[in-house]
Amino acid sequence: MHAEVLDHIKFGILSPEQIKQLSVAKLTVPDTYNEDGYPIDGGLLDQRLGVIDPGLICKTCGGRAQTCPGHFGHIELTRPVVHSEFSKIIYMLLQTTCQQCHRTLLNDDQILTFQDKFKKVVNIEGEDITNAIEKLEERDVMVKKIRNIKKCPHCGSVQQKIKFSSPTYFYIGEKKPKPDELRDMLSKISDHDLELLGIDPRTSRPEWLIISQLLVALVNVRPSITLESGERSEDDLTHKLVDIMRINQRLEQNINAGAPQIIIDDLWELLQYHVTTYFNNETSGIPPARHRSGRALKTLAQRLKGKEGRFRYNLSGKRVNYSARTVISADPYIHIGDVGVPRDIASKLTVPFYVTEWNIETAKKLLEKTTYPMVLNIISRDGKRKRILDTNREEILKIVQVGDILERQLIDGDIALFNRQPSLHRVSIMAHKVKVVPGKTFRLNYCATAPYNADFDGDEMNLHIPQTLEAQAEAKYLMEVKDQVFSPRDGGAIISNSEDGVTGMYLLTKEENRLTKDEATFILGLAGVFELPKVDKDGTYKGRDIFSMLLPKGLDFETKTKSGMTFRIKDGKLVEGNVISATFGRGAKLYVKIGKDYGSQELIDFIFRTSKVSEAYATIKGVTVGVKDYMVNQKIADERIALLENTFKKVDDLIVQYKTRKLQPLIGYTLRQSLEKMIIAELDVARRTAESVLSKYEGEENHALLMSKAGRGSMLNLEQMSMFLGQQATLSSGRIKRGYYSGRVLPHIAPRDIRPQARGFVVSNYTLGLDPIGLFMHAVGSRGAEVFKALLTARSGYLYRRLSNALQDYYVQGDGSVRDASNNMVETIYGGDLIDPIKTQYRLVE
Amino acid sequence: MAVKREHELVPAHEIMSENEVKKLMQEMGVQTYNLPKILVTDPQAVKLGAKTGQILKIHRKDGENEYPYYRYVVED
Repeated sequence: MHAEVLDHIKFGILSPEQIKQLSVAKLTVPDTYNEDGYPIDGGLLDQRLGVIDPGLICKTCGGRAQTCPGHFGHIELTRPVVHSEFSKIIYMLLQTTCQQCHRTLLNDDQILTFQDKFKKVVNIEGEDITNAIEKLEERDVMVKKIRNIKKCPHCGSVQQKIKFSSPTYFYIGEKKPKPDELRDMLSKISDHDLELLGIDPRTSRPEWLIISQLLVALVNVRPSITLESGERSEDDLTHKLVDIMRINQRLEQNINAGAPQIIIDDLWELLQYHVTTYFNNETSGIPPARHRSGRALKTLAQRLKGKEGRFRYNLSGKRVNYSARTVISADPYIHIGDVGVPRDIASKLTVPFYVTEWNIETAKKLLEKTTYPMVLNIISRDGKRKRILDTNREEILKIVQVGDILERQLIDGDIALFNRQPSLHRVSIMAHKVKVVPGKTFRLNYCATAPYNADFDGDEMNLHIPQTLEAQAEAKYLMEVKDQVFSPRDGGAIISNSEDGVTGMYLLTKEENRLTKDEATFILGLAGVFELPKVDKDGTYKGRDIFSMLLPKGLDFETKTKSGMTFRIKDGKLVEGNVISATFGRGAKLYVKIGKDYGSQELIDFIFRTSKVSEAYATIKGVTVGVKDYMVNQKIADERIALLENTFKKVDDLIVQYKTRKLQPLIGYTLRQSLEKMIIAELDVARRTAESVLSKYEGEENHALLMSKAGRGSMLNLEQMSMFLGQQATLSSGRIKRGYYSGRVLPHIAPRDIRPQARGFVVSNYTLGLDPIGLFMHAVGSRGAEVFKALLTARSGYLYRRLSNALQDYYVQGDGSVRDASNNMVETIYGGDLIDPIKTQYRLVE
Repeated sequence: MAVKREHELVPAHEIMSENEVKKLMQEMGVQTYNLPKILVTDPQAVKLGAKTGQILKIHRKDGENEYPYYRYVVED
């Protein structure tokens, strides 16, 4: 195909002569069809403007509905009107030119300066136009400078004040010039002066902004629709054009009949209104033209503008075949690498089946089928697609041959791309194997929700079916879930057990927990393990041994948690340590070890296996929280009071030291800042003490505490529920201290009180309930956090988008260099060290 | 702007000879203009007296890991 590089585009304005030249018909009748249902000659659907009804022939080009591209027509306006979309430019021109001699209001010196500046903007042939926008900005600065000049520097006449009233009215002094008077003024501006104002007179004479010939869009642009009842319904544009022509005709009749000037002016203004709304029905300052039903008409600007306009909706908006979208729901029995596809969807979507000489028999068998996994279409070798119906199945069966492509319904094992928006990183789209399921939702294993950032509160996801063998292979070998477990950020596992999946496994592997034979067989059966571990003397099985059965054979692994616990697996057996969030949850190294030593398939199977066992054991044991878990015993309540008293006393001491100047300031801080720092540190100590008090008196029978160890949540959650909320900080700005001049937060607080409670330390907890001041402080903190979150996500989201768009077509070449699509080199060695984090042993070697 | 003293964070720059450049372009399969750019007015270019169109080899160092980087000298 022949292609040329587009150098530049130039926009101009059509002159009345050009409009007449473009036009194939002058329209005179403000109507569409006659009684017989044929287009009226000189009407808005004149057959010279093109034809859209089948059977009719275009009177201009002789083409039929399929071949005629349509042709422009025009309406001769009895009186000219202002083009509303250009009234700002008209205003600018009126302001910058003399009302008497129509020369620019620039003086001779200024003319010389601007002459050079704008020459380049105007004459684009062979000249630099890259700075045109900057130069137009300079013009705006110039306009500001000269618009208030009182006396023309050329003829010396006094300039009257010009007012512009949106959308199309101008006032010069007391007078209100009509469009034809405006046209006379604009036409007297010389070509040379226009160039100074950044306008090219060859393509855009300003008097052309006053419309006397209105170009009428071709019928193809505004087709009429025939309703089922046989009634015709016209396009909004046609309606608008009818309005314009009606008023135009009435105006002409009134002028010819010698009607009073007032009536003529009224009609003239009405014509102006109709032409204005023909271009843009959302022009500010005038009511939108409405349809009989009261709906605002969609005129030219509305067709193009905005999200649902021609550009964003039709030109940039892509739609995709072979795809489906529905709500997702959780299914722990679906493999992590699978996706449950509802039957309804599976029978609509198709996969190509290429008929070859080796599979033609299978193909024929497939074609014969009339129930679910059947063939929907056949694409013959000439590329024609035919739907297979009960009526033509026999016939097609006879002619099917090598080279044909059958489109068969989706079945188990087909490869599909699964996606959740926003697609922020590579794992937002992964390849899954199809598993056809009943119901109406996509099913997803909850272990695979992390990369998509999905949950099941109504999220919808998209499914795409690759349509060629190449695409299927590519998806399978590059995008499958099992190959996406490791994060390109740090090489850690993105897909893992979490929440209940960790809690259950923790309970199972606790030293004292034993299972009966029934429980053990049930649980191992779920995981697809059909052997039992060594039985104990009392006929029970150790939970830890059951966990070991799930581990890959011969695994050796050791890690140390932050809290100093050693977690050790020797020869595929758990010998030391506990399964907790740090050893089994998100980011645990165990997954990396298994993935690197046993392969990604074994890893994903391991996660799937353990998730089922974990879930089942958590169900057997029962993991739940009740209000009881937060009603603390007397000992804790006493310790809480003592802790708070102690803390407040320490803070009071600090304040006394400060006031008596005995406080030792911290290096680099003033005395006042040091005091603040010390108070905050003291309150932090109180928080940590509360934590240890709770863990001293509460055991794992408190499931909130259990979950903070293995599963979800932290000690902070418990503290806030049964000890105290603690310091409610406003982010980055320290303790709350805004409100009054004296620095107090509320009128209930004494001025200059800096004790904990006066500055947002809440002594109460969720179980006891908050006092009004505590509630207020808590609300301040929550609001701050919420606002911060909203700002942060908006900011970082956009920042990330720009970054990923800028980097999207960089790739690492065979020699390790990073290049873009034009072979420009970005880095000689990827990252300076050619390390791909996905392939690293994530912190396995300390 | 003249560079008065060395800074430990600025890696060593050198001007490549025409032969070296030719060989390098051959090896990497690129044209000189495909490389990242450096202004002639860049302190390092000024210091070396580099001319437009030449290639600067930069000895980048990341910990113990050393690797070369190339920049095409362009006009300001």
